[in-house]
Amino acid sequence: MNMTQEKFASEEGVKQDLQRQPSIMLKLAENALQVAESLRGNYFSNTAKFIAALRGAMAREENPIFKKRKVENADWSFFQGETVAFVDGGIGQIEISSQVPVLLRVGSYIVKTGERNLAEREKFGYYPVIIGDLEGGSKERPDFTDIIRITAELLGGLSVLENNERLNVLMFHGPLVYTVHFYMGHTPFTEGDIDKLLSQYGAKGTRGREIKEAFLKQAFEEIYPKMTRNYVEWNEKRIFEPLSFMAYLLRLIITEAKKKNALVIGIVERATKYSEFSKNYLLERVFQGLRKKNNIDFFNNMFGRKDLRDPETLLNKLGYTDSIFMSLLLEPEEYSEVWTMTKQYEFFSKRSVSLPNSSLVSEVDYSPLQSGPFGFPKILGSYLKVGDNIEPIRVETFAELGDKQMEESVKRVYRYSKLLPQYGFPVGLDIADKFAHVPDWLTRAYSNLIKHHLGVSLQSGEINDAEMRRVLIQTIYMTHRDWLFRPKS
Amino acid sequence: MPTELNNTTTTDSQQVNGKSTPIRDYVGTLVGESTSQEFRLAVNHESIREQDIIAVDAEFRSTDGGQKEKIRVWAKVKRIERINPLFPTEAGHELAATQTSPFDTVLSLSREMVTAVCQVLGTEPIEGDSKGKLNQLRYPAQPASSAYRPIDSDIKRVVLGDLQTKQNRAVDLATLANRPNVDVAVDGHKLVTRHLAILAMTGAGKSVTSRRIIEELAKKNYPIVIFDPHGDYTGLVDVAELRGKVKRYYAQFPVFDEDSDTVARIISTLGYELSPTMLGLFSDVFEAAKSFYGTDADAESRKEKAEWLSQRLGNENIRKYGIKQDMWLIANLAMAGKLSVKEANDGNPTKAQKLQDWGWGQILNYDKTVARTLCGIAKRTFSAAKVLQRMQETNRKVAKQAEPLPQDRTELVKYGQISVVSLAGYSGDFQATIYSLIADEIFEKKVQNDLKLPVLFVLEEAHNFVPSSANTPAESRSITTTKQIAQEGRKFGIGLVLISQRPSRLDETTLAMCNSYIIMRMMNPADQNFIRKVIESLGADDAKLLPDLDVGEAILSGQFINFPVLVKIKQPQSKGEREEKDAFEALEAARKE
Repeated sequence: MNMTQEKFASEEGVKQDLQRQPSIMLKLAENALQVAESLRGNYFSNTAKFIAALRGAMAREENPIFKKRKVENADWSFFQGETVAFVDGGIGQIEISSQVPVLLRVGSYIVKTGERNLAEREKFGYYPVIIGDLEGGSKERPDFTDIIRITAELLGGLSVLENNERLNVLMFHGPLVYTVHFYMGHTPFTEGDIDKLLSQYGAKGTRGREIKEAFLKQAFEEIYPKMTRNYVEWNEKRIFEPLSFMAYLLRLIITEAKKKNALVIGIVERATKYSEFSKNYLLERVFQGLRKKNNIDFFNNMFGRKDLRDPETLLNKLGYTDSIFMSLLLEPEEYSEVWTMTKQYEFFSKRSVSLPNSSLVSEVDYSPLQSGPFGFPKILGSYLKVGDNIEPIRVETFAELGDKQMEESVKRVYRYSKLLPQYGFPVGLDIADKFAHVPDWLTRAYSNLIKHHLGVSLQSGEINDAEMRRVLIQTIYMTHRDWLFRPKS
Repeated sequence: MPTELNNTTTTDSQQVNGKSTPIRDYVGTLVGESTSQEFRLAVNHESIREQDIIAVDAEFRSTDGGQKEKIRVWAKVKRIERINPLFPTEAGHELAATQTSPFDTVLSLSREMVTAVCQVLGTEPIEGDSKGKLNQLRYPAQPASSAYRPIDSDIKRVVLGDLQTKQNRAVDLATLANRPNVDVAVDGHKLVTRHLAILAMTGAGKSVTSRRIIEELAKKNYPIVIFDPHGDYTGLVDVAELRGKVKRYYAQFPVFDEDSDTVARIISTLGYELSPTMLGLFSDVFEAAKSFYGTDADAESRKEKAEWLSQRLGNENIRKYGIKQDMWLIANLAMAGKLSVKEANDGNPTKAQKLQDWGWGQILNYDKTVARTLCGIAKRTFSAAKVLQRMQETNRKVAKQAEPLPQDRTELVKYGQISVVSLAGYSGDFQATIYSLIADEIFEKKVQNDLKLPVLFVLEEAHNFVPSSANTPAESRSITTTKQIAQEGRKFGIGLVLISQRPSRLDETTLAMCNSYIIMRMMNPADQNFIRKVIESLGADDAKLLPDLDVGEAILSGQFINFPVLVKIKQPQSKGEREEKDAFEALEAARKE
């Protein structure tokens, strides 16, 4: 080890690094207050010791505990003449007592690097745009807006891929695949809901219909029968189970990306609690090593505990996350080894699902969506550190598109992020985010419009049902917060 | 009558001589908050410039609650704001550090938002003929309305206002800065009766502007007296259309029109300090010189006196050139007095007696000490006379073919005549004194109704004639004179044009009494702030333009124009002394000589 590496792998070096990264310092400070009292005493210095040890283990030539690489050939000159698309979704939620996301739009920003003609260089688009109520989805669940947004963003990305003859890069703000098992049990969408999403798809709108019909066909023939006994009723009702539809769209994206040889990238910033890599790879190797050396109580001795003998316990008790480790193990312009993300597909299980506009409740088994021809795809992940005092971002690619995707993706993500040096995030996503954002004035205006129409309906006597009238009055005059404190009947 | 509009199309056109001519150009849409003083437009890139005049059509119910009335809201673009909300500042720094063109990156460059902030000028009904008179807007224009650039003739009509029907008053001064096809005329009546200030830094075009005004007023035969410290108006005499109208005068300093104290002070100011003893005796010498000269009727005896003096002092030039009412006479007489007093004290009072006969009452009472004092006065007065003569010679040289100022200063005020009083060569105090004498006499004659014709005084370097504070009696007098004219001149038909490149050195009250302003390029912050303070009609956004105005560009504001407007001054036909030769060409020409 040379002098610089020695310092890097020392406790002092780690402490100096921590001081340069205030956000990580803050996280550790938070952890220090939240962990068990017995762990608080030397939390910082023990963490520094631990990181120093990891850094040392990282540097060894044989079996390094953690591999990282430097971003190379990432100058702008390497990326000229590329068509790059950035996709982000924005939601405007009106302030009434229900939780319906009545305003959603997915924005896309497509740019050709090196193109001097402004008219040819950039394209902005909104797709899809939803203004209105949806029949499907479980509106009472707090994650209802998530499934709408995720579905819409996937459609937006697919639309960009299919409707641009040449596309080199497609970048999403967020994971390529979310931890979707949390969304199990949502009421499926109706055909009317999907029509809202697909109505403007493609130049003539026919492609939207094709996607819809293709999914329903595959769903009836292959997907739904494996998920529920009520697949015939589901088919008759022409409903769209959210998770299976998401998986379907992801597969379409992969197919289209292969045709165009496009990089498809998901970017996750500030993944505060994520610790999959730490648990399954980094700490797993650490504990493996400890077991080989018969030093399983290394952490117990360090922290004065008895239970710190496996990665999960260590992470839970000490509050360590991928973000903390990667911030301190990676240096600027470096990215971590690539790993296959679990996305917790193993948690797919069974749920009871209500159908829209029906009393029928189906028992649904989600496990067929774990993998296979109509399951969710495998995702590769890597952490990239863009700048000195910025937390690393997580870069995701589809495993099916090949290993080279990650290396090429990381270069571009790095270069795009250097244009926002304080934030360390691809600037194109920032642009798409600003573009997609639903402005407050639009949300307010639509809210007022809805209230007006409801009020008109009430005053004109169109609503006779007493309970409905009560609900409507509360809807118009109460906010969501007020609704929570409504008197119980 | 304004050209009728149609809100349903963005570019209407009409057939003129078989060609389609756009009635108006769409420039933008009202966005955000709109008030009756100001509104904002989202505009097309480069469709509009600052200081452009635009219009928005509106429909309001009349104030009596009657029918709806279509009106046109006129506005001026005060400033244009350009922003690209999708281009982060930190990206700009990164590009600079890496010397990367933004086109080579994924940054967005196409979503600029350009907003024009417009100041409402007024309204006029679309139907009927308002004759260009604008009414106040009392209700804001509707957001989302379209703004457009009206055709030249409509803009001209509004800029001119009611001047269209009073063409005899119109002074053709400039064109709109952004619309060279639109002539801008100002109200000559307001200009000559209610005083005008032309303010700008050196080289911005003040003299060109004033010459333009003078030439235009001369076409209307308005009497003008120009006090010209630098020869800027010598070229007026060469303008063909002004032939016979321009008279140039060189200024002889009227020593004997002043009192003895003033003359003594002048000698001191010229660098030849008179001691207290000398000052005490000076009035005797001065009065003696006046008596010695006599009146105009004493021409014959003056000749005799000149002969005597010439012999007394052994100075042939006195005999040759005679004696005049000038500093030389005082100096010569003081010297003659010194010699005569000395002789008298030595027992020969003949010469002293002679001088007494000629009006030097006390001379025979003087002793030798007084003789020494007289010698001191003589020497200093000789030196001052030399300096004064140099000034006068310079003045005459600059004035070229010029006449001496007439004794009766009202001769300067004649129908159709431009009298250029050359003050070049004289120091500031002398200039102020000469000006005060002339202006006071003319003002006095006007008050007494002995002079019927109105007159316009043009004061170049006006800060020398009416400074903010007086450091010398000459300045004090000059300030008093000018203030009086500024306050009361209108009643008696005397107008002022103050021209200055240092407005912060001008007297604030006098400047505020000007009702019309031509403000040109100005860099000095003190001057800018001063102007903002004094000139009510100059808005903050207009004031910000001042450092960036081109040579020849000006903001017209005040009573002589319908509303403040940015113009390009038209070139006058005359050239000024300092413009005539390129310095390097002159150098080569001189070398060849």
